[in-house]
Amino acid sequence: MSVATVISDWSAPNQERARTLLEAYPERRSAAMPLLYLASLEHGHLTPAAMAQVAELTGLTSAQVQSVASFYTMYKRDHVGRYLISVCTSISCFLMGADDVLEAIEEETGTPDGTTSSDGTFSVEHVECIGACGGAPAVQVNYELVEGVAPERGATLCRWLRESSPEVVVTDEMQKYFGGVRSFDWGITETVGAIAPVPAFGPYGSTGEESA
Amino acid sequence: MPEQPPPEMVTISLDGQEIEVPQGEYIIKAAEDQGTYIPRFCYHSRMKPVGLCRMCLVEVETPRGRILTTACNTPVAPEMIVDTESAVVQKAQEGILEFLLINHPLDCPVCDKGGECPLQDQTVAYGPGESRFVEEKRHFEKPIPLSDIVLMDRERCILCARCTRFSEEVSGDPLIEFVGRGNQTHVITFPDEPFASYFSGNTVQICPVGALTAKPYRFKARPWDLEAIESVSMVDASGASISIETSQNEVVRINGVDNDATNHGWLSDKDRFVFQAIHSENRLATPLIRDDAGDLQPASWGDALDRVADALGSVRGDEVASIGGANNTNEEAFALGKFLRTVVVTPHIDAQVGDALNPEFLAGVTPRAEIGDLDGAATILVWAGDLKEEFPTLFLRVRHAVTQMGAKLIVVHPRRTGLDNIAAEKITYRPGEGPEVVRKLTAQGDQDYGAVRDLLTAGPVIALVGLTGRAEDPRLAEAVAAYALGLPGSKVLPLARRANVFGALDMGLAPTLLPGRVPVKSESGRAELESHWGPLPGEAGLDTAGIIAGLAAGDLKALLLVGADPVRDGRNPDAVRAALDAAEFVVSLDMFLNDSNQQASVILPVDGFAETEGTVTNIEGRVQKVNRILPGPGQSRALWSILDELSSRMGGQLGAGDGPAIAKEIALVAPAYRSMTWDRLEWGPERDGVVMPDRDGVQELRFVPDDSGLRPTAGRLALHSGRVLYDGGTRNTQSPALAGLTPDPAVYLHPRDASALALADGQEVDVAGEFGTVRLRLELDPSLAEGSAYVPANLDSTWVLGVPDVVTVEAQSSKGKKNEKKKGKKKGAGE
Ligand code: SF4
Ligand code: FES
Ligand code: FES
Repeated sequence: MSVATVISDWSAPNQERARTLLEAYPERRSAAMPLLYLASLEHGHLTPAAMAQVAELTGLTSAQVQSVASFYTMYKRDHVGRYLISVCTSISCFLMGADDVLEAIEEETGTPDGTTSSDGTFSVEHVECIGACGGAPAVQVNYELVEGVAPERGATLCRWLRESSPEVVVTDEMQKYFGGVRSFDWGITETVGAIAPVPAFGPYGSTGEESA
Repeated sequence: MPEQPPPEMVTISLDGQEIEVPQGEYIIKAAEDQGTYIPRFCYHSRMKPVGLCRMCLVEVETPRGRILTTACNTPVAPEMIVDTESAVVQKAQEGILEFLLINHPLDCPVCDKGGECPLQDQTVAYGPGESRFVEEKRHFEKPIPLSDIVLMDRERCILCARCTRFSEEVSGDPLIEFVGRGNQTHVITFPDEPFASYFSGNTVQICPVGALTAKPYRFKARPWDLEAIESVSMVDASGASISIETSQNEVVRINGVDNDATNHGWLSDKDRFVFQAIHSENRLATPLIRDDAGDLQPASWGDALDRVADALGSVRGDEVASIGGANNTNEEAFALGKFLRTVVVTPHIDAQVGDALNPEFLAGVTPRAEIGDLDGAATILVWAGDLKEEFPTLFLRVRHAVTQMGAKLIVVHPRRTGLDNIAAEKITYRPGEGPEVVRKLTAQGDQDYGAVRDLLTAGPVIALVGLTGRAEDPRLAEAVAAYALGLPGSKVLPLARRANVFGALDMGLAPTLLPGRVPVKSESGRAELESHWGPLPGEAGLDTAGIIAGLAAGDLKALLLVGADPVRDGRNPDAVRAALDAAEFVVSLDMFLNDSNQQASVILPVDGFAETEGTVTNIEGRVQKVNRILPGPGQSRALWSILDELSSRMGGQLGAGDGPAIAKEIALVAPAYRSMTWDRLEWGPERDGVVMPDRDGVQELRFVPDDSGLRPTAGRLALHSGRVLYDGGTRNTQSPALAGLTPDPAVYLHPRDASALALADGQEVDVAGEFGTVRLRLELDPSLAEGSAYVPANLDSTWVLGVPDVVTVEAQSSKGKKNEKKKGKKKGAGE
């Protein structure tokens, strides 16, 4: 079956991306993981129907696709809020008070760890080390990193997200207003952010223009 | 077995002992062959190792010192020093088991696996004795159905991945997989996509704990109460080894037995669960005689046999014919043949019904392949029915040869088959146009099928040849075989489906064959048999089609039906029914009532699967022992003993004292079976079966097929009448676990044919042929050749269609008239 028939309900650019991905690998099944991100981007999260589509595209069975999707925590099989707040609770962040950060964020958003707020604005989760130990405690918003986030700053960050509901979240912007000590100065200015709680696709400029 | 070069040997030290083992063998296997058992959960000798469970840890000396490593995926190397019992190894084993038991419930007393559970056994043998785990174990809702047959108790699963690897690697339908990670990992299907695999039961058998269970056996028995006996599956003619297990005189389970020559231990779910039919309440348990009012009445054996003897004695011998015998043992088939040839004195004998191939081809094609030859083949040509539907365990062997041993596969079939996804080349042809395909393959310089012909230049070529569907001209198979035998290093494996059809033919249940693969027309062969049996009819008899015609014409007067249902299997069901009605006398020897014997004058209940002891012969000519673990129900009796008594009533002498006595006579009079004894097959290296003829056996019949006289047939919608595994046959419908799996009847058309006929997917249509009309749902199937219609054979409604060459498909509309006419005709025929 042709790609277009399988994912005819996807947006045209995403259909095109899917085609490119499938061509990029000698074995179709190798495209499964990026396609799962693409499907998440398309539907907001990974629906069973989308997993079945990816199975069809890659020649795997739906059960195999589900197996991959459920192994990795960054594939979301349930609804995700507009802003996914990931609070690191691994060792460095834990020692620097991550539990309090998580609690402050849960309270501010009214969203307990592992759930999504009823209005669909926030999802809150705790995660393992996100590679920012030097700037602990660290938090991500739609996988965009903020370091040195004290509990009250975490709460402010969430309030800002709710009130100004930015289209795009950008690391440097959030770091400037809500971050604290950084692990090191990256030396470049990040102007590219995320528009959805899905990594790997949809890199947009802070103005909302596609940059890639 | 095919010859393989002997593997290179290396010397290793195993627990201080020097041993010679094949280079590259995994430590676990090398040790096992030397008698040292290394505990394991995930390793399975018929699958690739994964090193998941860590139960097989052993110590190996390396330049970096002694290390613990997994024996299941570490190959031996020269001078390797392996320790399987050191203190470190024991500590590791204890640790692994303690970890595994952290999340494993202690519900062994209510678990079906308890008593035969590798986890239980190895915990006793290698475990620490106590656990330090005081926390709460994980819980899951239990059990959840993975399919109509298989259930899953997730908390018992130790994540060995045997089940998931089986379904991906062996059966090729990975409908179950792990989900989640860490503590939450478990095995499950995709939502709404059940584990509907023909092979799902194997996962239950190889699960090393009680996580996977099959409904028919769940809570039925405890392993220590089971009695078991080895036997052979009677579902198809591939000869899969099984163990039949009973509790309180009831078969409760069938497991696969690893036979290197045939099934590698695997079974289809039909092989595994079809035993339920033998305990069906519909089993015939007493002789039945039709009374003057036309009703079947229970009768004593004495009365019933008198009636049969009288009837058969009152007509000329050659006015009697016999159809069937392909589901019986060789001994029973032999007794039947001898009864017919020497007591009744008739040559009209045919074990094949409906989808018959030339018996001389099936019994005598040379050179004939063995199943094991597949593993050494460069190219495999499958031009036969869909193996997944008709020969499921052979299907797995072909899969194995292709996916693991590197053979290239060519499939030729009118429709998609279960093997297509691993085939290097596929030819789809319109039913009836097979001869054209053969011609194109043969013709020099023909433009078509270049890739196929290229592949076929690489030998050895193993060709699996049979009928692709019931509407096909049986001579096509011979033409295909003739073509295949011209290919480099080629051998042919002839395929006919019924359980012991090859044994029946070898025992002479064919119009043209005498016992031991001797053609009736062979003067010397017949003389040899006459020296034992006395004078025999010298002419070939009628085959099933001829018998039906003879009955209808009144040339034949009496008929024996031996486990056969020619109405359902016939080309023209109405005509067969009419012929049976025209017969003066029909006696049926069967386990069930069916569409053919409903009208019989006498019905005699016979013992069947698991109730008779004897031998059977598979597609390779391999003879294996089948065994008896139960008596038949009620008054049912062994076929040979019925025939023996009939003979004496008819003033003859069958001399069928018992199974072993018949087996001795077979060895005496059947040349190809000269060296066959039950003893050889019972124990020792020949327990996997012996391919006949061997040692002293001789085979006079060397059938080299030719392809003359075959013309393509044409017609607008050529019928493809392919078989499905779970059809409407008695054994399926009488096995509750399988009855529900029968697919919905439908007719399949290529989308372009459907649109040319202005028909839509899912629409109800009338399918009409020469012999009948049936109303079916239409399904579009782009895998069909254009100009053909696929109707699965022998489903509840489809068999009425019979087997016409061509059919018409029309929207159901004002065609009621046509139906009426058909019905009227049927009624007339039935009276
Ligand atoms: S269900 Fe059984 S076979 Fe499958 S992974 Fe679990 S323990 Fe292994
Ligand atoms: S521990 Fe939090 S980022 Fe590494
Ligand atoms: S048997 Fe070796 S790791 Fe499981």
